[in-house]
Amino acid sequence: MAEDKVDELLQKLQKYFSHITASEIMNKNVITLTSERTLWQAKELMKIRKISGIPVVNDQRKLIGIISIEDIIMALEKNYIKEPIGDHMTKRVVSFSPDEPLESIVSKFERYHFGRFPVVDKNKRILGVISKKDIIRAILERFRLIYVHDERRSQILEKEAEWFDKSLITGDYVKKSDADFVFQINYTNVDLAGAGAAKLKSFLTKKGIGETLVRRVAIATYEAEVNVVIHSESEGAIYCWIEKTCIKVRVEDHGRGIENIEQAMKEGYSTATDHIRELGFGAGMGLPNIRRYSDQMVVMSEVGKGVVVEMIFCERG
Amino acid sequence: MKLKKICELLDCEILNAPKNYEEFEIKYAGAADLMSDVLAFGKPKMLLITGLNSPQAVRTASVIGATAVLIVRKESIPESTVELAKDLGIVLLHANIPMFKACGELYKLGLKDPITSEDT
Repeated sequence: MAEDKVDELLQKLQKYFSHITASEIMNKNVITLTSERTLWQAKELMKIRKISGIPVVNDQRKLIGIISIEDIIMALEKNYIKEPIGDHMTKRVVSFSPDEPLESIVSKFERYHFGRFPVVDKNKRILGVISKKDIIRAILERFRLIYVHDERRSQILEKEAEWFDKSLITGDYVKKSDADFVFQINYTNVDLAGAGAAKLKSFLTKKGIGETLVRRVAIATYEAEVNVVIHSESEGAIYCWIEKTCIKVRVEDHGRGIENIEQAMKEGYSTATDHIRELGFGAGMGLPNIRRYSDQMVVMSEVGKGVVVEMIFCERG
Repeated sequence: MKLKKICELLDCEILNAPKNYEEFEIKYAGAADLMSDVLAFGKPKMLLITGLNSPQAVRTASVIGATAVLIVRKESIPESTVELAKDLGIVLLHANIPMFKACGELYKLGLKDPITSEDT
């Protein structure tokens, strides 16, 4: 992608992600050098790690400068590549604070034309580095998991009529009594976990939906259903609508809720008990699997108020 | 590969035998005890090898569209598991051997891994 296209894309996207801050975007695995190392060593490090700039820190990891690929080119031209970094680094470094919002980060990228910016705390200690790639990665991550933080959350979880019947993804009115498929989840019998997904699978197959699409819907629904049975301690329901181009599934419960969604989205993270694990569940793959098999998903939850998972599946290529 | 060959090779007890099951074609095999792992690698024409003998193993196999389930390293299989296999039309096999051995034998026979195989 051409550089100006990247800038254009970032500008368009930042509106939707204004709440993201530097601490969420930054790469914490930051490579630094101390000032007595030579420019030659910096060059080697850049080559090996394929990076274009390295922050320079003192022995307390405080940021004192930055050395960029331009400095290295200059040193090669003027023949001082064996000299210490400290004599040639850029000392006036533009950096971000951890709570710097995305908008201001993007505008600094535009203003200064540097490839990367360090993120430092109040005492100038280095916390991470942000390049344009890191920004795009953070935004893409958000695209796949849209976790709604605003007032819609409590309204939906409190079952306030107007919101409770609206799609989390599209905002359209979805009357549950109009669902093409409804299944009440029985949370008291672990052996029955997945029965709803199995029923939905045969329902969709009978409706003539393609095998690959049906499988994706079944797998994601199974995971969401199992979550209700093993985590919620509450009744739940599966709703499915067959739409013109897509299949929409919504799985709801009014149980314990998820404490930390970001954590729950990580592969391998699970709060399941040993008993549940013996039954073959609790691998910590539930939400990640749903994300893998659906085209869009929204998870909405609050502790003590339940979980709503909405998923959309479309025919792929 | 025909399912028949697999049954013979591992000397399986056949707990649910749908019509013509011996002629069913198996291309892939995947082994796991965690059902979420199974869901992550699910593919049609697959044999699921698992140490889990609860109905859940059969249900998960059905959800991913697997053809057959082979339960390993268990003395016995609960009736409820067999019943569900009948309901869902999944071939259910049982061989009281270690999972490693089952996988090794089938790998030698040319079954493919569902995750790394490129064709779908």
